[in-house]
Amino acid sequence: MRAVVAFLLLVAAFALASWLGWWGVPLVAGLWGALRPGVAKPIRAAVLAALLGWLLWLLFDAVGNPAALARVAVRLAAVLQLPALLLLLLTLLWPALLAWSAAALACGLAGRLAPSDPRRHRSP
Amino acid sequence: MSPDLPTSRPPDFPSFRPTVLPSYRLVVAAIVLAALLYVGFRGAGKVPPVGPLLDPARGIWALARSAELPARSHGRIAGLSAGVDVLYDDRGVPHIFAASEADAWRAQGYVVARDRLFQMELQTRAASGTLSELLGPRAVEADRADRRRGFPWAAERGMVALDSGSLIARAATAYAEGVNAWIDAMGPADLPLEYRLLRARPARWHPIDTFYLFLQMAYTLAWDDETLAKLQARALVGSAAADALFPRNSPIQEPIQPNGQTAPRYDFVALPPPGPPDSVALVASRDRAELDLALGWSPRRPGDGDAIGSNNWVVGPRRTAAGYALLAGDPHLELSLPSVWYELHLHVAGGPDVAGVTFPGSPGVIIGFNRQVAWSFTNTGADVRDYYQETVDDEAHPARYRLDGAWKPLETRVEVVHGPRGVVLATDTVRFTHRGPLARVGGRWLSMRWTPFEAARPGEDFLRLDRAGSVTEWLDGWKEYVAAAQNGVAADRSGAIAIRSTGKYPVRPGGRGDLLQDGSTSAADWSGFLPLAQYPYARDPAQGYLASANQQPVDPRANPQYFGVNWYSPWRALRINRLLRADSAVTPAAMRGFQTDPKSERAAAFVPLFLAAARADSSLQPAAALLAEWDRGYTRENRGAVLFEAAMSELAGLVWDELLPREELADTAARPAAIPEDAVLLELAADSGSVWWDDHRTAAVERRDQLLAQALRRGLARVLREHGPLDGSGWRWENAHHANLFHLLRIPGLSALELPVQGGTSTLSPSPGRGTHGPSWRMVVELGPEVRAWAIYPGGQSGNPVSARYLDRLPRWLAGTLDTLLFPSRPEELPAGRVRARLSLSRER
Repeated sequence: MRAVVAFLLLVAAFALASWLGWWGVPLVAGLWGALRPGVAKPIRAAVLAALLGWLLWLLFDAVGNPAALARVAVRLAAVLQLPALLLLLLTLLWPALLAWSAAALACGLAGRLAPSDPRRHRSP
Repeated sequence: MSPDLPTSRPPDFPSFRPTVLPSYRLVVAAIVLAALLYVGFRGAGKVPPVGPLLDPARGIWALARSAELPARSHGRIAGLSAGVDVLYDDRGVPHIFAASEADAWRAQGYVVARDRLFQMELQTRAASGTLSELLGPRAVEADRADRRRGFPWAAERGMVALDSGSLIARAATAYAEGVNAWIDAMGPADLPLEYRLLRARPARWHPIDTFYLFLQMAYTLAWDDETLAKLQARALVGSAAADALFPRNSPIQEPIQPNGQTAPRYDFVALPPPGPPDSVALVASRDRAELDLALGWSPRRPGDGDAIGSNNWVVGPRRTAAGYALLAGDPHLELSLPSVWYELHLHVAGGPDVAGVTFPGSPGVIIGFNRQVAWSFTNTGADVRDYYQETVDDEAHPARYRLDGAWKPLETRVEVVHGPRGVVLATDTVRFTHRGPLARVGGRWLSMRWTPFEAARPGEDFLRLDRAGSVTEWLDGWKEYVAAAQNGVAADRSGAIAIRSTGKYPVRPGGRGDLLQDGSTSAADWSGFLPLAQYPYARDPAQGYLASANQQPVDPRANPQYFGVNWYSPWRALRINRLLRADSAVTPAAMRGFQTDPKSERAAAFVPLFLAAARADSSLQPAAALLAEWDRGYTRENRGAVLFEAAMSELAGLVWDELLPREELADTAARPAAIPEDAVLLELAADSGSVWWDDHRTAAVERRDQLLAQALRRGLARVLREHGPLDGSGWRWENAHHANLFHLLRIPGLSALELPVQGGTSTLSPSPGRGTHGPSWRMVVELGPEVRAWAIYPGGQSGNPVSARYLDRLPRWLAGTLDTLLFPSRPEELPAGRVRARLSLSRER
């Protein structure tokens, strides 16, 4: 249960941090990784949470004006000469990559710098 | 690497497996993160910074949040004297109810910026020579040309000289307050897409930006004054022939100011044969071409036809079915997305109550109607620009110029073009005589004088028109108007109708403006401007209607004053006059029908000539049969129009071979440097044996019919090649020609391209050339007990490409239908079911 709550909090943290700017994603992921919370596969959790955090924003807009969100996808895809679906996937892949790299880096560095307490060393 | 599991492991984490990341994964993560941050913040190559772009909270996806107007919203504008209510109807048109004119202009600035902020900044920068600050180095040459052309010089001079209490100064200041209030109020989702793509932020709006806008519009409407075309023709065929090919007076007279005739008059004369090349003109024409290039002037391109033109007409009560005056107007400008126009309604308690369209960036309404009067404009195309050859003290770095035997100092400005981050991209010294900007061309120094530079209060006239209570007041309201000269029509509820070609027309010592002037003497300067009484004008004429379509404004037999040369062929004027003469009970629906009428007077004039020429050639009979049965219409399914346009295009190249530059004679694909108007071609057709019909590139001596047959043959071959067999489905006008509405940044994904459209070259709803120009606003107004109006423009009110209001009007514009405009005198009069959004504006606390 604690893991679920922690994960939901992480999703919320990513969503809120993104309100400040996209760079909030690596920041939160980095913090998450550095703190090395007591959850299994914390890096994967960060990846999934970041993706869901951004998906929440998109769902929020989709509920508000689905047609407009679809037009964003279509118009921008036309501008960038990409399929609209690929644009959507890129939008979700982007925070996931940011979160993975930042969390993995922070987690790894923290693991190397921290005293050898086995509880602080967890796999991604 | 895998220590033992701790015994106190929490039960919630069954897969807990303490570990330390291997070094290589750390390195990979670091590299990936660094790369992502770099691409996220800086972008890579053509890829813009990905982070802010994809950010769902503030990036492009956020545009969905600002795509539509919120049902209720509130804004604050410093300086408002009272609250302003803005109601948006279901067409996205804001109805602004304000307590004072100044508040109305503030609110106007706010709502227009809300919908069109990027467009406002882009078109202003296009005039101020600061596009590079937004678009980067690719705009440097355009910026340098703007500055050489003297736009910043003129705008800044105008601002310094402007009386701060003048109507336009107050309006531009109030408008700027409104625009900046919106910029300050913008949330993350409100930043227009274009700024995101350009990685830019909106600049503050200043009153001078409104002046830049009017300079830009004057530039758009400043057709080449034909000096170049005439010089090029003189260089090749001598003065007498050039004067005939590019005549001062149109060979077909259907003037704007009625001349008492009930039909057009054809003043055809035999064209003099080509004379020997004029070496002086050859040098001058090259100079002039260089000067145009140096000043960034784009001469009217051969083949563009009347791309930038317009129609307007008014019908008096005697000739309308309902007994009320009717007005129609459709300015033809570039068809852009968003549109050049923004539609709105300004209601000021005890003041103007006016609706119509305005340029984003200009306070008030430009074309529209109020409770008493309606009006619209077409471009006069007057010659209001002259060039002077100056004598300077130093050919390389002049500081003074010679005038009346004395040296006068040149005014100089160091123009620095900056890039997006303030980097200096170019530095130029621009010099000015008392006439205007000076440029070195072909070893000579030439200065330019142009009437828009002399407008003391640009835009003010339109604000006065918004207040007019009658045609008389309307005429009075813009009697001081300077440029670009416009043929304005107006009608009022009393049934009065009027037209006047208004603008400052220079009085030149030689009476002509199409020659290079001697700058060393002030005797060559303009001695003033024509008095108002000399302007082409008519009011409540016996014929019961008035019309203009960019034709020569006045019959030279009635008024010999010089207004310009080489007028557009009056095909549209002929057509609208024909339609209006034939209908003595005009209705608003008929007016709308006239605006999209597909028939061509140009085709009616030339098709019989092609048919006669094809009689002797059996191979041309299929083509002749098609033209014979053609109704001279440019409807979408039409086949005849496809063939006719191809044949006309070939004909121009065949006939005017004498105007091919000598070095291009052998090039079969070469086009004449200057092509006379089709009205001159029709004049030539009256003389079947003229030497002009002979194609000098062949050994034979051709006459009219041979050349016409040859043009038809070539046209037919071209169409067969491009559109398949004659009886196939490819031969449809909609396949051969399209309207193209480009986004302001020419981004195809944000544009509406290859649209099937009714109309072609010189039809009342024209779509010439590449289809990038056409009716930018169609409006019909009935001046009855209650003013009723219908209108449309291509595109939509919103500049946000993801808004439903970005393109919502396009289908109706393509179909040729008009929307019924709402014109409530109180907010409560707007039907509740048609109110889409409300905006309350109040004073800033």
